[in-house]
Amino acid sequence: MNLDVVHDIQTVYRKLVTATSRPGNSVVLEREAKTLDIQMECLSSTILLARTVLDPEVTFKVISKAEEAVSRMINQLTYSKPVDLAEADFIFILQDASDEQMKEALNMAKVGNLLNPHESAMIILEVPDVTKGVSMILSGPGIQEESFISLPNVSAWLGARNEKNKEFPLGIDMYFVDQQDRLIALPRTTQIKGNGGEIIWDMLQ
Amino acid sequence: MNKTYNFAFFDEGSKREIRRATLKAIAIPGYQVPFASREMPIGRGWGTGGLQLTLSLIGKDDVLKVIDQGSDESVNAVNIKKLVSDTTGVRTTDSTKGASLIQSRHRVPEVPLQRDQILILQVPLPEPLRNFEPSEHETKKLHAEREYSGAWLMLFEQIMKYGIMATDADHPVMVHDRYVMAPSPIPRFDNSKLDNNEALILLGAGREKKVYAIPPYTNISSLAFDDYGFEIESFANHACILCGSNDVFLDELVDEESGETYFQCNDTSNCLEMVNQKQSLGVK
Ligand SMILES: [Zn+2]
Repeated sequence: MNLDVVHDIQTVYRKLVTATSRPGNSVVLEREAKTLDIQMECLSSTILLARTVLDPEVTFKVISKAEEAVSRMINQLTYSKPVDLAEADFIFILQDASDEQMKEALNMAKVGNLLNPHESAMIILEVPDVTKGVSMILSGPGIQEESFISLPNVSAWLGARNEKNKEFPLGIDMYFVDQQDRLIALPRTTQIKGNGGEIIWDMLQ
Repeated sequence: MNKTYNFAFFDEGSKREIRRATLKAIAIPGYQVPFASREMPIGRGWGTGGLQLTLSLIGKDDVLKVIDQGSDESVNAVNIKKLVSDTTGVRTTDSTKGASLIQSRHRVPEVPLQRDQILILQVPLPEPLRNFEPSEHETKKLHAEREYSGAWLMLFEQIMKYGIMATDADHPVMVHDRYVMAPSPIPRFDNSKLDNNEALILLGAGREKKVYAIPPYTNISSLAFDDYGFEIESFANHACILCGSNDVFLDELVDEESGETYFQCNDTSNCLEMVNQKQSLGVK
């Protein structure tokens, strides 16, 4: 079955809406992912998100050893243009990116300005599994009191993420996709605390 | 289904544009995200902003409810439902519970919303500071600086003039302790429903090309003073003539023959459900 660019993209979008409105809740893109040909260099969910939000009116950047190939593919699929990190509307950080690259990408990502806080980057970060990793407590809009999640590779992104989101409404919105085609959003409004023993403070640099 | 249209009327590029704006709106509650509003085959001011949101969201499995000032049957509501179902084939419903998307003008339904629903409010004037500041550039600056003394002054002047805060509808709210927002011309009675709602609430202004959002479980408070608190419309000692409800928003009507006033639910589908409930209880 081939991806239906109207109906499958609509369901991906609605799941994005659900994920963004309910930070920390995972949504599953498995059905839509199955409509894609096998991807070599990036996850199916990454392609799905690219096809949902990208077109010639916006820009992107890929962080990966396979940056060139993946950028070319995304450009061919969406006609969106790859640009430098600091300008990119969408930043795709693939699984093979190093911790250093990840931190650099977040540090360079645009956060908008007080007049136009929406002129900020959306970060799509590939991880092995959105349910395994460091346990965290979330609060903020979209969350009834508190919710608990475990996300991988926290030391590489949490410090930079919190630094970027210090001055709401400025900030970056992060989306995590995994190998099981699950998606979790952490928009800029979400407050993240360490949960118990494995506290994250010394990772905040 | 009318094949001369795209699914949900728009081309995919138009949908993407409003979708990107909507995702930002959810991430920045209460902030008005600009978008390139499209021409629609219904008159502006008839809810093109809400309609564009609905069309960008809707899929084959959705069930749509459209209400205009509490009524599912108004010409405006019927036209919007027709346009959407003609271009999508989706089912429509009058039942608040049975809908996945609810587009509304001037009301939040009486039946509490659920987490798998999205409420789309049509907005004629998205800028709550416009009354005293005509320049868009200046109001953007005021929001940027969280400079809301003008909004407070406006309410204070009403109190000086009328002894109460005289906003009939569209009483401004503070969202997530950051942005002052126009809730659209819903009665003050509905403002509290916005606070910590289970459902996502999206607001669309077609003419002014803005979309903004209240995510679920977001703190919303109506602007008010300690000594002149926020008061909702009072229907003290009145109940709906049809269903007997006294905890809902009522319209005051005049009987043309007798000249007497009476009250009736504004939310007609909820009223009908209440009537039916009573009847089925009465049968037992
Ligand atoms: Zn009634």
